[in-house]
Amino acid sequence: MRYKILTVDDSKTVRIIVKKAFKTYDCEIIEAANGVEGLATAAKENPDVILLDVTMPVMDGVEMLTKLKSDPALKAIPVIMLTAEGGRDNVLKIAKIGVRDYIVKPFKEDLLVEKVGRIIDLKPISEGDHAKTKSIFDPATILVVEDKPAILQQIQEGIKHTPWKIAGVTATGEAIDYCSKTPPDLIVVSLSLPDDAAFTLFRLLRTNVKTKYTPIFGLVVKTDLAVQQQAQQVGFSAIVTKPIEVQDLEAKIAKAMNLDTSQRYFATADNIFIMRLPENTSPAALVEVANYLKPKTAEAVDSGIYRAVIDLHELKRFDMTIIKLLFNTMQVFRELALQYVLVGNAQIVTECKGFEDTKGWQFFDSLDDAKTHLAKGAPALASAT
Amino acid sequence: MPAIDQVTDSVFRDTITRAVHDVFKTMFSLPAVLIDQPEPPAPETGDPEQRVLIDGQLVVGTVGFIGDISGLIYLYMSAGFANHLSGHLLGMSPEELDEAGDEVVNDAVGEITNMTVGTFKNQLCDQGFSCKLTIPSILRGSNFSIAPITSATRRIYRFQIAEHVLVADLLMKQGD
Repeated sequence: MRYKILTVDDSKTVRIIVKKAFKTYDCEIIEAANGVEGLATAAKENPDVILLDVTMPVMDGVEMLTKLKSDPALKAIPVIMLTAEGGRDNVLKIAKIGVRDYIVKPFKEDLLVEKVGRIIDLKPISEGDHAKTKSIFDPATILVVEDKPAILQQIQEGIKHTPWKIAGVTATGEAIDYCSKTPPDLIVVSLSLPDDAAFTLFRLLRTNVKTKYTPIFGLVVKTDLAVQQQAQQVGFSAIVTKPIEVQDLEAKIAKAMNLDTSQRYFATADNIFIMRLPENTSPAALVEVANYLKPKTAEAVDSGIYRAVIDLHELKRFDMTIIKLLFNTMQVFRELALQYVLVGNAQIVTECKGFEDTKGWQFFDSLDDAKTHLAKGAPALASAT
Repeated sequence: MPAIDQVTDSVFRDTITRAVHDVFKTMFSLPAVLIDQPEPPAPETGDPEQRVLIDGQLVVGTVGFIGDISGLIYLYMSAGFANHLSGHLLGMSPEELDEAGDEVVNDAVGEITNMTVGTFKNQLCDQGFSCKLTIPSILRGSNFSIAPITSATRRIYRFQIAEHVLVADLLMKQGD
């Protein structure tokens, strides 16, 4: 269920600012231009929170608030006053009628979101139903909170082939400032910061509406099991151990950000569907390929593609788990009547000859050769039993 | 409660300066600097309206306050500055703003005036002058001036905001 926020203000400008402030959150903004409309809309829509101006024509905010609080059906709706009408006495008088909070204009949109976020559980829109899945080729910002420059450098170096931008800060105060200005997509915090600062920072980030749902990784020495356990208990999204294994870090980031990694393994070029295995195809990568295999193949066939290449030219490791995946791939391709060929390197071709099941496989040397062959409409070269 | 005539010019100047500064810093991240006040012209020869004038098309927002202290504040700005501020507040491009028309800009200028006068009068409230705001209204045109009623005390302040000038025209009257 989407949260509803009712903004009652005679100024369309303020109502637009309110909409703008919440546009990245999964909530619905409902508008009313005066107290009469506000009461009617509150009764009809039953909003989760009301933002209420004071000075309005027809019925002002104080009268609307008084009526709202005397209506048994509406009195429980939390109200935040959002008004230029300040001054200690005024605020006290209005607060006595029963308001949850009071914001005096001018106001920062961030403050508004923060105060509303204390009343309702605001979720970024990417957490909602209408989210577009991000891929590993989309840019993202990762904030690393680490007081040791060498570690920051290792992370930067390790994932420089990705479109992810690494922002490094050395202290928790800097991290809070950074997050309030530009909330990152993921945060990595060194658990060895002095005075348990990582845990304090974690709590602060989780109470801030902007970072409430941001994945937070703890960075810790592999042997420090007690701290790892503590971090898991408080709710860190993942633990990354030092020395850092870059592939592991990258996989964890992709998983935590719920990134679509299929483009690492599947592509379409010149009306040909390509399934490729990267140089270091880890067991985790094999699982990913297996998960994407059927839907991605079906998607390609659905778009009118009927030819495919299984591209192994980058692959350096060949074993039974990979063979099993390849058989599975060929099976899926055949079920969907895809013509397919294989591309391999010298090592893979040699290793294939060493297995009974794969010794009959034939390979092209390059993707271009394979495409040319398929373009001629030649039949499949590989067979699997 | 102090009497209105006990409030010095410097208090009014500081109060309006703080109000303009707070609104433009908070809503637009723009500093507002009070331009040195010229010597008021001698009553018999002077033309106070001259100190208000801004060249070209003007948009003027006005909001009043009524209570222990009553008055009106006019905020004068060029139409170009009004469009710039409105675009920023509403997140609209100049083209979108053109398409939306003057009503949208009027509403935004009304809100900027409401915030500025609100911040001004809230400071007065905290000094013991209880009062309430009125609903904003907007004037548009060029080469016009507003003549106050004779019982009102008029104070005019000019502010530099980026490359633009904003004029605050304060008309004050003791409440009943």
